[in-house]
Amino acid sequence: MTSRPGGRRGDLARLAPASLTVLVLFGGALAGAVRTSLVPLGGPPGLEAWRALVHSPGFGEAVRFTAQVTVLSTLLAAGAGLALAAALRRRGVVARSLLALPVTVPHLLAATLAVLWLAPGGVADRLLGGLPVDIVRDRAGLGIVLVYVYKEAPFLALLVLAGCGPALAEREEAAAVLGATPWQRLRWVTWPAVRAPLLLGSVIVAAYAAGAFEVPLLVGPNFPATLSTFAYEATQGDVVTGQGQAAAALLLVSGFSVALAAIAVRFARDVEGA
Amino acid sequence: MPLATARGRTAGLLLALAGALLVAVVVLPPASLVVQAFADVWRAPALVPQRFGTRGVQLAFGSGGAGAALLTSLAVATVTTGLALVLAWPAARVLGERRLRHPGPVALLLAMPLLIPPYAVGTGLTEWWLRLGLAGTAAGLVLAHLTLVLPYAVLLLLPGFGPGLRRLEEMGRAAGLSGVQRLRWVTLPVVRPTLAAAALLCALVSWSQYGTSLAVAPTRPTLPVLLLPFVGTDPQVAATLSVLFLAPALAALVVTVRALRVTT
Amino acid sequence: MLAACGSGSGSGAGPSRQTWTDVRARAKGQTVRWWLYGGDARVNAYVRRSVKPALARAGVTLETVRVTDTADAVSRVVAQRRAGKTSGGAVDLIWINGENFAAGKRAGLWLRDWARTLPNARYVDRGDPTIARDFQVPVDGQESPWSRAGFVFAADERRVPDPPEDLDALLAYARAHPGRVTYPAPPDFTGSAFVRQVVRAKGEDRAFAYLRALKPYMYRRGRVLPKSEAELNGLFANGQVDLAMSYDASFVLTAVRKGQFPGTARPFVLAGGTLTNTSFVAIPADAAHPAAAKVLANLLLDPRQQAIKADPDVLGNPTVLDPSRLPADARARAVRASRSPYLLADLGRPVQELAAADVPRLEARFKREVLR
Repeated sequence: MTSRPGGRRGDLARLAPASLTVLVLFGGALAGAVRTSLVPLGGPPGLEAWRALVHSPGFGEAVRFTAQVTVLSTLLAAGAGLALAAALRRRGVVARSLLALPVTVPHLLAATLAVLWLAPGGVADRLLGGLPVDIVRDRAGLGIVLVYVYKEAPFLALLVLAGCGPALAEREEAAAVLGATPWQRLRWVTWPAVRAPLLLGSVIVAAYAAGAFEVPLLVGPNFPATLSTFAYEATQGDVVTGQGQAAAALLLVSGFSVALAAIAVRFARDVEGA
Repeated sequence: MPLATARGRTAGLLLALAGALLVAVVVLPPASLVVQAFADVWRAPALVPQRFGTRGVQLAFGSGGAGAALLTSLAVATVTTGLALVLAWPAARVLGERRLRHPGPVALLLAMPLLIPPYAVGTGLTEWWLRLGLAGTAAGLVLAHLTLVLPYAVLLLLPGFGPGLRRLEEMGRAAGLSGVQRLRWVTLPVVRPTLAAAALLCALVSWSQYGTSLAVAPTRPTLPVLLLPFVGTDPQVAATLSVLFLAPALAALVVTVRALRVTT
Repeated sequence: MLAACGSGSGSGAGPSRQTWTDVRARAKGQTVRWWLYGGDARVNAYVRRSVKPALARAGVTLETVRVTDTADAVSRVVAQRRAGKTSGGAVDLIWINGENFAAGKRAGLWLRDWARTLPNARYVDRGDPTIARDFQVPVDGQESPWSRAGFVFAADERRVPDPPEDLDALLAYARAHPGRVTYPAPPDFTGSAFVRQVVRAKGEDRAFAYLRALKPYMYRRGRVLPKSEAELNGLFANGQVDLAMSYDASFVLTAVRKGQFPGTARPFVLAGGTLTNTSFVAIPADAAHPAAAKVLANLLLDPRQQAIKADPDVLGNPTVLDPSRLPADARARAVRASRSPYLLADLGRPVQELAAADVPRLEARFKREVLR
């Protein structure tokens, strides 16, 4: 079906610059991280770091807590993102600017703001005279989830909106003219267009939520910790040997994210039939 | 009929309230940073700072080096975004037009940097850059940012390409337009909103990058690298640097959305 | 005794002075990259206003690299070592002590045998155990002293006119005012130091029994601890808790100047002894400009610089120099009492730090027995 000059070879040539960049730059970095986890400084290669990690106190709880926070954040952000996209679909510049505002605030700042506002003694506390529920530093990780939803729901909404252009509106109108009910339009016209960016975006959000440490550091509980906090604390203890453990913890998280992405890609492809 | 309109009015009111609350939640926290930046003393239970002052600004620009960090961040973000878009364009084209039979592995490869925790990428990059001799250089900083920004560029340019655009380009070719003319009169106008959105997000990702910047070139601090040590230890200086950080980001956002409005 | 000039005290004065001239000559025109903790605006200001110009007069340019944690600087040296670099490193000098130093020493990261060759090293009492050992790890000339720290507490004299005198009184205070006392969780630097303070006062097992007994009366019932000293300071500043603590003896002064603590905050120490340590500067073995780094380390030990640093208007840090070894006029300056309600004139009975190897073990035990 390629009527483009160059055909398959041309396609590969077009993919090359980006792919090679990622392969060389990022691949080297990833190889380094793997090497760090397997080869201690000035010692023989081995699984020491991995063993030490798995046997650390609190590791099991860290895995469970990380999974809990990640799943919750991603699902809530996806839901909120969809709702926002639906609500703001036909709105103008001002609404979209507001929507994109949290995207410009980096996670670290968002977490700092959460502490400024929602911690005991924070602004919300002073305004309302006391908060009924612990949001910051609570054992269920609500603070972490809240910050991620604040940041990622607009991001996902923007991704979804990017996939819905005037072309989609035309198709929906065409379907309506042909007699499709709102539900049918939603299922057969809107959802397929929205599904891919939402899925891709959610995988990215999940990967970030699982692996970043700034947010749990500021608003997460002491116990249980997330795997990323584990990694961070390992380097705070013994800097030289802790790096191996930190790398191991983060590679564990990466493995999960890559697996998730592979599943998502497979799922999307199967459904599209491409 | 009156009941329906009354219910409709209450629903409308609730919706408006929800909207206002949402706007407040989005806008108030960053706005409070501006207040804190100029609050020499702001302790509970006061809602308004006990004393205003410019201590934050003095410290940030004086011994802080905020000016230099701002320029570094700007330069790196601009160059990185440009490079990323150039590299991502052809790849996004191929993937967006669904020309590959097995796009999975390629998509996964290009998305990998987004799936690995930023801290791990930062540490891995330091060692790799040390071996390549790029550590501490401006080029090394740009390439480190590029590693993380490129996947976003591909992801966001994807929706801009499709069979529809290809048909338009073929019509243009059939009409006798040259390659450059096709690019200028057919492709760019159609792709422009996607391009704008992609450029904005790429710039934002580079602008906010902390871990990798710190790891690769700590002697050439970007704004986030300068900001972090002050978070928690000196809230006023941290707030000042945060405002300095957010202002250009917000400006870029407004400009982009305006540009989008013209076409959509 | 006061051989301030001429051959002076210290080994091999003749040859080392010649070598020092070499060092100074080599250092001229070099830039020294000093990696140090960047979150204290007053330290930044002191370095910029006093150290940088003085160093410039010696022909050396100072470039500070501010890190959030010393571990970040050590990580960089480790990364360079992993990448196989043996020279031209990006880190010339690190402000360091404790576990970080010990870990680096074990891995052979630091330049050896240089601290004693500094001319100003003669003002330092090398026999002092807090100078010769860093967290019980022998310094072995691999780092040069810079600053002293003592673990102090703070209370608002309006709310707590009578601060607890010792740890048992602290427990009684917590019982009488539940939810008003807390400390940062190890492995935070300050929290870890607090645990060590308790261990030094009571012995390890009884210390952990004490911490477990304290837990239910703590802020948020001890289930949530601040993760850093900065967070605890925020809680104290907002009136959520009644006590703050720090390994920086001048932290109350700094915080009041910052507008963070109320003007009525006052420092105090506990009767069981005050945990003290010295912090040093070390040169990585692969530093690109070791000569410039040595000149800087020497400048930091200059009696005039130490006196400026001890001035409460600048930093209020106690000096590492031995007053009995200083020339008379310098001694007068150093001993001038820092009269400020926010600085303690007497830090109580100094108690030495534990061994560096014990620190991670205690942190792990804390996680297991107290945090859960």
